[in-house]
Amino acid sequence: MNSKIKKFLKPLMIPVAAVLIALVVGAIIIALTGSNPIKAYVSLLQGNGIIPKKSYANFKGQITDFMKFIDYVTPMIFAALAVCVALRCGLFNIGVSGQMLISGFTATVLVGYSNMSAVPAKILVVLISILVGALAGSMIGFLKFKFNINEVVSTIMFNYIFQYVISFLINTYYVDPVSRQSKMISTASRLTLVDMKIGGYKIDIPLGIILALLAVVFVSILLNKTKLGYELKAVGYSRNAAYYAGINVGKSMVVAMVISGALAGLAGATLYLGYVGSIQPKVLADTGYTAIAVSLLGNNNPYGIVFSSMLISIIENGGTYMKSSAGVETEIASVITGIILIFSASNAFVKHWLAQKNANRLLKQEKKEVQ
Amino acid sequence: MDSVFIDGLSFALPLFIMAIGGIYCERSGVTMLAVEGLQGFGAFFGALIAFILQRSMSGASMVPFYVAILVAAVGGAIFSLIHVALCLKFKADQVISGVVVNILAIAITGYLTKMINRVVFGATSDKFVLNVSTRFTIPVISEIPVIGAIFKNIYPFEVIIIAVAFLAWYVMYKTPFGMHLRACGDNPHAMAAVGGDVLKIQRRAIMICGALSGIGGMCFAYSISANFSTNIYVGYGYLAIAALIFGNWKIMPTFGACLLFGFARSGGYKAVAMLQMPSSYQDLVMTLPYIVTLLLLIFFSKNNHAPKSLGVVYSKESR
Amino acid sequence: MENYEYIVEMRGITKRFPGIVANDDVSIQIKKGEIYALLGENGAGKSTLMSMLFGLYEPDEGEILIRGEKVKINSPNVATALNIGMVHQHFKLVSEYTIAENIVMGMEPVKKVLGFLPMVNREKANQEIQALSEKYGLAVNPTDVIQNLNVSTQQRVEILKMLYREAEILILDEPTAVLTPQEITALLEIIRGLRDSGKTIILITHKLDEIKSIADRCAILNHGKLIDVRDVATTSTKEMANLMVGREVSFSTEKQPAQFGKEVLKVDHLTIHNSDHFPVVKNASFSIHAGEIFAIAGVAGNGQVEIADCIAGLTKAHEGKIILRDEDITQSSIRDRKEKGIAYVPEDRQSFGLVLDFDINEDLVLKEYYEEKNHTIKNFLNKEKIAQDGEKQIDKFDIRSSQRGSTVVRSMSGGNQQKIIIAREFTLTSDLLILVQPTRGLDIGAIEGIRKMIIAERDKGKAVLLVSLELDEIMDIADTIAVIYGGEIQKIAPAKELTANEVGEFMMGVHKKEVGANE
Repeated sequence: MNSKIKKFLKPLMIPVAAVLIALVVGAIIIALTGSNPIKAYVSLLQGNGIIPKKSYANFKGQITDFMKFIDYVTPMIFAALAVCVALRCGLFNIGVSGQMLISGFTATVLVGYSNMSAVPAKILVVLISILVGALAGSMIGFLKFKFNINEVVSTIMFNYIFQYVISFLINTYYVDPVSRQSKMISTASRLTLVDMKIGGYKIDIPLGIILALLAVVFVSILLNKTKLGYELKAVGYSRNAAYYAGINVGKSMVVAMVISGALAGLAGATLYLGYVGSIQPKVLADTGYTAIAVSLLGNNNPYGIVFSSMLISIIENGGTYMKSSAGVETEIASVITGIILIFSASNAFVKHWLAQKNANRLLKQEKKEVQ
Repeated sequence: MDSVFIDGLSFALPLFIMAIGGIYCERSGVTMLAVEGLQGFGAFFGALIAFILQRSMSGASMVPFYVAILVAAVGGAIFSLIHVALCLKFKADQVISGVVVNILAIAITGYLTKMINRVVFGATSDKFVLNVSTRFTIPVISEIPVIGAIFKNIYPFEVIIIAVAFLAWYVMYKTPFGMHLRACGDNPHAMAAVGGDVLKIQRRAIMICGALSGIGGMCFAYSISANFSTNIYVGYGYLAIAALIFGNWKIMPTFGACLLFGFARSGGYKAVAMLQMPSSYQDLVMTLPYIVTLLLLIFFSKNNHAPKSLGVVYSKESR
Repeated sequence: MENYEYIVEMRGITKRFPGIVANDDVSIQIKKGEIYALLGENGAGKSTLMSMLFGLYEPDEGEILIRGEKVKINSPNVATALNIGMVHQHFKLVSEYTIAENIVMGMEPVKKVLGFLPMVNREKANQEIQALSEKYGLAVNPTDVIQNLNVSTQQRVEILKMLYREAEILILDEPTAVLTPQEITALLEIIRGLRDSGKTIILITHKLDEIKSIADRCAILNHGKLIDVRDVATTSTKEMANLMVGREVSFSTEKQPAQFGKEVLKVDHLTIHNSDHFPVVKNASFSIHAGEIFAIAGVAGNGQVEIADCIAGLTKAHEGKIILRDEDITQSSIRDRKEKGIAYVPEDRQSFGLVLDFDINEDLVLKEYYEEKNHTIKNFLNKEKIAQDGEKQIDKFDIRSSQRGSTVVRSMSGGNQQKIIIAREFTLTSDLLILVQPTRGLDIGAIEGIRKMIIAERDKGKAVLLVSLELDEIMDIADTIAVIYGGEIQKIAPAKELTANEVGEFMMGVHKKEVGANE
């Protein structure tokens, strides 16, 4: 029993330590710039509706903030799953942002600006974003196995190509002259039900979160229980050994990128057609990059990702309220995320170091027993 | 037509110096995807110092400019220590480390730029505005038709880059240090067996990469926007990496790749201007270097040979 | 006359690695000008002991004296300064550099350009190496690039590297492992010459006849402990062998005469190109029958591994045919070939044979995980069945690990990793078993076990293709021997018609192509 708990707790140790260290460093930076770190961190929780604020405007309450937070978390979960699936197959998809953008844009143009009624519109948004994301992902996988192009380089290239081309299209055809963004999409096509009046509060209801949680279960089963997951992991751990075992390495990489791209597409749909409702030209969502930190922090485990998504979203989403109530720059959120990222990346070293310490301890024990 | 040469060169040379940095790092056996972050941090550091110096000097002085280049190199080298720590000390995955450095650079420089503007200068701004760099034209030879344009409207940094690039080439191929560095990328155990400290050589290579990237970033800050803001992160660091892959990890062919990127970009702008297209079409031109990169990689990736031990985590025990 | 008795003295050396005591209180004394052999099985601690003398590791306990003075050798630089040199088992050469560059690297002659810029003086380096190679009779061309050289030339480069550093104490780690008998003879001649010029030589080896022919004294190690130090002249090989293993050993594996069955594999005029489109195997033809162990002998890098890879489907044939039981499989995929009955133990077990980050159970099903109704049901893995089968194999093949089936393979010893591959491939339903270096790096006990298993598989009616660099192994268990040189098969003959020396001559390409002449 004891060992079972240990086995469960062990993988948690490094992420928890990473978060704690990052928060402490963040606190020091905040203090150095003359603000109160405790007040700042409390305001993060308040901003996300996890603990109540002192006062609320009309029709707003803790639940309003909390649902907004969930709405923010949803694309993050999808994006982190996208990173996770690719990483398990040994591929580093840092093009999630670009894949989000192209899927979100395509769905916006095809469905968001149509007169479709709610149900078919929402279903179509989901399907289109999956399809476009999958296509964008498959290209990366194809370039990797066919031409041996480093996926980090190719995804970045595609990020910029998508960004500029879509910026051009928005500015030429779909711009809202007042907001300088793309025109708002129809309410029917939006995946977040905005300003629903429930129990005297105005609440945004993110339908995407249900899909996101289903996706978590799906990815977990895929990776751990299926033949395909076995193949993807074999390719991820050792391309040579997978090839030797008769696994089609190229196909596996393309499949992994298709799944990763599809998940990124869903992230795009839930961000651009859920949380926001429009697209800002020339800007890639941070979500795709933050997702790397989220996935690493979650140990590349789908369930771990749910928690790490929420945690990092608290920091990122709470920034605005922290700025207004504690006067701390919103960018501190990215700094804290970055520090978390550093420690998550040294995961391998910490594991190695722990293993060696363990081995040395055993060695000393053996020596004592001999004496 | 002249502007194609002038703008092409002023874009290609900073790219080239960053690519040389990447070559140093990868030739020593360490995967380098952090050029983007290193150039950004270097530029931030250089721009900050230049910004401070500018306030106490006359607008025409070039001193802040030269100091900025130097400081940017130092800044890039300092920031590269994160890659050193993650890759060499913590033995992290070098690809992940590179991406971490990039993300961190954007976060930290963005935050610090705002903070310093607010706390130190009492301004609400997310950028450091720099004085416009002077340019010069070499008389007589710049009058030669067509190629004379190369000697027109030169940024001083272009001369600096060519000098540094030559020095980097010399060090890489002619000196004992360069010989040891390339040995580490081919077979680090050979270097260790003759008493070389592989990790030390790799650490130096990464820091040289940081310094050269910093110089490149500073030059971009001066040439493209005459300021520093997070808009400096537009993927040119990744273009530099593509250039060095295309250049087969060798300095001279990489120079050719950089020129190609530079002229593709300046030629595109020229075409938009000549065809009198609306300015929003510039967004399309902006995609040119990226598309060229992808196409080149498609054609050349397969035949190129990366250093043999590239990305292999070196440790004394694994023999 | 020097005022010391021993040029090298190691006293009470103990070195521990996680989970293993590599050297346990070992003391040796070596006289100037002798050839001193260190004998022991793989893992007996010979290389570790010498790595400490060369400064790659530092001892946990004990002290080292060189020329009577206590020294602390914490890096190869210190060792070099003490005139100690070492040739490692795996050569440490930069493949894209020239011979001269490799030799001078780290202490290269430098000239100043413009009075201040340092530059490696390549002309001077070339001259120095030319002179050095003539002085010691080790012929090399200083400007040749390493990657174009054969193994024995590379070894000469390694020896020159030591001599360039003015080494007086030369450590050679298993120098003959990859050489042909003729090359070995030449090397031993070189070693004698070096001793006669006053050098002290420490020879790490597990080959008894070499020690017998060249060494003056011999220290025997077993499981990290020093067993004995003997004068070679007065000790028999048999005695040394028994000391080394700690029990009686038989030099040959027992086997019944082979019963050849039907032809299983036919390779017909096979030509293979490497990734640079250079032919590495030319026009190879042979066939293997059920119940036959067909061995390919050859010096490393002569195309034998490429043949194995090509038959298993890892690389494509450029020309020619591969026929398995009357079926042309030249174009079949790796998986098809496995389905049709090919099992394959590859040369590189860590990067090809195993997914090191899988656990034992997962690696044991690497070739069969996808089989419906066995390890997979409707695309879902049948984890219970995988675990059950794993348990059986772990017991049957004596795979030792800390957490049985759920042990991560990376954490295991090389020998046990190899057992996982052997377990998996021997258990596959197959007609043809391809084995490349199946016993490399294992200790004698394990080697014996695996050789017996190979013979057992043969006796079950499998055709076995054995590729080995160990001529002993081939002479021990092969029924038919093919010798390859420069990508061409030089000779195919029943094992009993060939002596080791004859095979060695063909390995060197001495008799050009007898196969072709007969056809």
